Amino acid sequence: MTIEVSLRVNGLDHTVEIPPHETLGQVLNGRLGLNGVRLSCEEGECGACTVLVDGEAINSCLMLAVQAGNRDILTIEGLGTPENLHPIQQAFVDEHGFQCSFCTPGFVLSSKALLEETPHPEAAEIAAELSGHICRCGTYPNIIRAVQRAAEELAEEATNE
Amino acid sequence: MSDQQDFTIVGKAIPLKDATDKVTGRLKFSGDIRVPDMVHGKILHSPHPHARITVIDIRRAESLPGVLGIVTHQDAPAWEWENCWHNYGGRILDDKVRFVGDEVAAVAAESVEIAEAALELIDVEYEILEPTFDPIEALDPDAPQVRAEGNARPPTEVVWGDIDEGAEMSDVIVESSMAFDSQAYAPIGRNACTAQWDGDRVTVWTCTQTPSEMRDAIARGLGVPVSNVRVISQPCGSSFGLWWIGSLQLITVLLARKIGKAVQISLDQEECFATVKRRHLERSTGRLGAKRDGSVTFIDLEHVHDNGGYGLKPDVGFLTVDLWGAGPNGRFIDRGVSTNLVTAGCMRGVGDVTMGAFVERLLDMAAVEIDMDPLEFRLKNHIRAGDPLRAMEGETLDQMDHASLPDGWPELGKLDGEALSDCLIRGAEAFGWNEKWTDWGKPSAVDGPKRRAVGVATGVHSCGTEDEYPVSALVRVHSDGSATLHCSMGRQGQGSETTQAQIAAEALCISVDRLRVEAGDTDACPPSHGAIASNTSYRTGFATWDAALDAKQQILDTAAMQLGGSAPDDLDMRDGVVFSPSDPTVSLTLEEIMSTYRPDSMTPPMILGRTSTPMPPSMMYARYFAAHFVEVEVDVDTGEIQLLDYVATQDSGTVLNAKVLENQVIGGAILGAGFALTERLAFEPDTGKILNPGFLDYKVMRAPDFPIDPGVLFGDSHDPVGAFGAKSGGEAPTTAPIPAISQAVYNAIGVWLDIPMTPERVLEALGKI
Repeated sequence: MTIEVSLRVNGLDHTVEIPPHETLGQVLNGRLGLNGVRLSCEEGECGACTVLVDGEAINSCLMLAVQAGNRDILTIEGLGTPENLHPIQQAFVDEHGFQCSFCTPGFVLSSKALLEETPHPEAAEIAAELSGHICRCGTYPNIIRAVQRAAEELAEEATNE
Repeated sequence: MSDQQDFTIVGKAIPLKDATDKVTGRLKFSGDIRVPDMVHGKILHSPHPHARITVIDIRRAESLPGVLGIVTHQDAPAWEWENCWHNYGGRILDDKVRFVGDEVAAVAAESVEIAEAALELIDVEYEILEPTFDPIEALDPDAPQVRAEGNARPPTEVVWGDIDEGAEMSDVIVESSMAFDSQAYAPIGRNACTAQWDGDRVTVWTCTQTPSEMRDAIARGLGVPVSNVRVISQPCGSSFGLWWIGSLQLITVLLARKIGKAVQISLDQEECFATVKRRHLERSTGRLGAKRDGSVTFIDLEHVHDNGGYGLKPDVGFLTVDLWGAGPNGRFIDRGVSTNLVTAGCMRGVGDVTMGAFVERLLDMAAVEIDMDPLEFRLKNHIRAGDPLRAMEGETLDQMDHASLPDGWPELGKLDGEALSDCLIRGAEAFGWNEKWTDWGKPSAVDGPKRRAVGVATGVHSCGTEDEYPVSALVRVHSDGSATLHCSMGRQGQGSETTQAQIAAEALCISVDRLRVEAGDTDACPPSHGAIASNTSYRTGFATWDAALDAKQQILDTAAMQLGGSAPDDLDMRDGVVFSPSDPTVSLTLEEIMSTYRPDSMTPPMILGRTSTPMPPSMMYARYFAAHFVEVEVDVDTGEIQLLDYVATQDSGTVLNAKVLENQVIGGAILGAGFALTERLAFEPDTGKILNPGFLDYKVMRAPDFPIDPGVLFGDSHDPVGAFGAKSGGEAPTTAPIPAISQAVYNAIGVWLDIPMTPERVLEALGKI
């Protein structure tokens, strides 16, 4: 049995015919080819498959695709382009907030949700807020620096606007 | 050695070459590869720890619609690890299974779901054999034998001086033992292998740290020419030695050949955790003597490590011996033993993580007895430049032609250089050691159930093990003056493409942005050892440097010819421009040189730099060091240990890229601290099955678990052989955290613990449970 689900991903509408048990992560990665949605543990422990659903950071392995129907989904592919990185992405580049980068899309998207809620987080707050993510390479200090740097950058942008 | 500030590219903390792909999610991992008409494979794993396959009937599975083919041990009757790769032994697909999760068969089908369904239809009958799991019990000749040649590998022994004499001259002798659980690689990413045959030639897309070795293993395994195997190594998600050589690739290649179609086998998280490999289970016992003045008189250590089902390591490395080998008498024995647990193999910091922690513990216990500050004790005893490397004495050293080595290169068998004292002293200052250190076994602060204390320890690793494999690189300069560096090292993620590019661009005198690195394709790269054993910065870096200098010389020769009679020695290069220090009118851009036709052939010049200088065996002289400082808080009610402050210092010679090295140092520290505190694979007692094959039950460190702003300092040294004086960086920082944290815990609560130091172990040691 399959059902039809309409998803709005990175500003584009998609309709997929899927078995009802398919997770949002499986649809985004497997059916829509968005490889930046990284499936790793598929039990909500590692945070690698994080996407933003209506601005909220969600483990896409724990949400059924049908639950995301007609909601606004943002994956890393929709955030910035290589020519025009989002300030959070640029800060991760500049601060070396990764090594292998398997976890990076999830960290970047959760950081975006965090900074929209709390524009000037303390380092300890960033660490706590990102504790749903695993960076097995252990680049946490540089991830935290990247988020702080991005916060400064975004605040400056907001002032200039 | 030239001073570091003379460099224009080396030493700059530039972003990673592939940073943009990484932050946009565009970087493709092995599981993201798609090949036209590709089908999917799944592996059937053994449910038994030790059994003989008496019947394997694939007829029901084969008849399932959508199934395209199945391989079992009958398809690979003479496929021996010994023929493919040096670290494992036994048949790759055997009629005997040696651990729960061992490979029994693999199915190719039109979809993953069909392949999974087909696994259920393979009928296997097993003759159950008695298993053995405990490394010490497995050493007994009467224990069940996992391998045809027996469980116990011959002991590896390093002996110098006389232990009895050492004991006689000692004022104190301490004795202890230590057990280490097994750490999982716990990869955040997964691995997949895609194999596609075209006639008798196969292309393999997978994640491996050693593309050249992988290509050789496949060629040898299948009995095809090396030239017919192409491995294109894909990025890894945190590897630490996991994705080196494994059954996954060999089985996928075999399956693809049998069905005549491209096949991808993608491992899930449980397979990555529980069926590939893990860190060895290790047990140490030993004694150490010292005089009242703090000098070590002897070390006598026996170590056992389990190899699991297919590992073959006779020893896990004796580099720890080097660190404390300055003492006059010593004996180190290590024995490898097979068990019916998943195969054990080299994980980041192998040997030094465990034996090093035990040697440091013995040192601490002796320092307690003579009441000497652990920092002072280490400064007094660590190995110095020129000291003999005890593990390196012997036949290989005797065979080397020492006289042929260039002037200024180190004497083989002796430590080439070090800045460990510098690391200890500067690290102590940055950490505030003198203010924080109270005394042995005395917390610096007590607040209700919470006890604070500090610890310091050192770590070491070799800058590369040769394993009879060379390092080499090629540097091609293109018609527009851009260049490509070809060096086989895979794409593990630690930043080596960037640091190798920095070496090559510095030597070639061009912008690093004009230099691309090809690190994974064996059809493009010359054979080279790869990113294992801390080879990359040191050994691969040397090869890259040599190839780039060769390319530069070819450029100068070509420019001299184009300038009609200048001597190449009168020319030099800067920022992609050839100039003459003595004649300001001479100026040729690399693009001009590369686009000017040679009058003798009417073709553009060909610049192809290659490694031609053989590198002396770095195991014989090159080490790099770490010294770590930690403050902990132990809750004696809950048994929890928190890390409050951390300073990591490292002597990696010239720093190629401070941010890359900082991630290696702190990443290593976090991996070591995870093993120190929480990381342990749980094996089911009766089967050896791994009970926690995922992040839900296997606890790794997260951002709040490690101090958020740790100090990182680099020692001031320059290696006489390495590229621009650089040594390697990734493994030594994994070795120091365990002894540093363990010492701090002793100072907080007065007990020495096994690893990891879980809350249960803390409470048990305190007699609370």
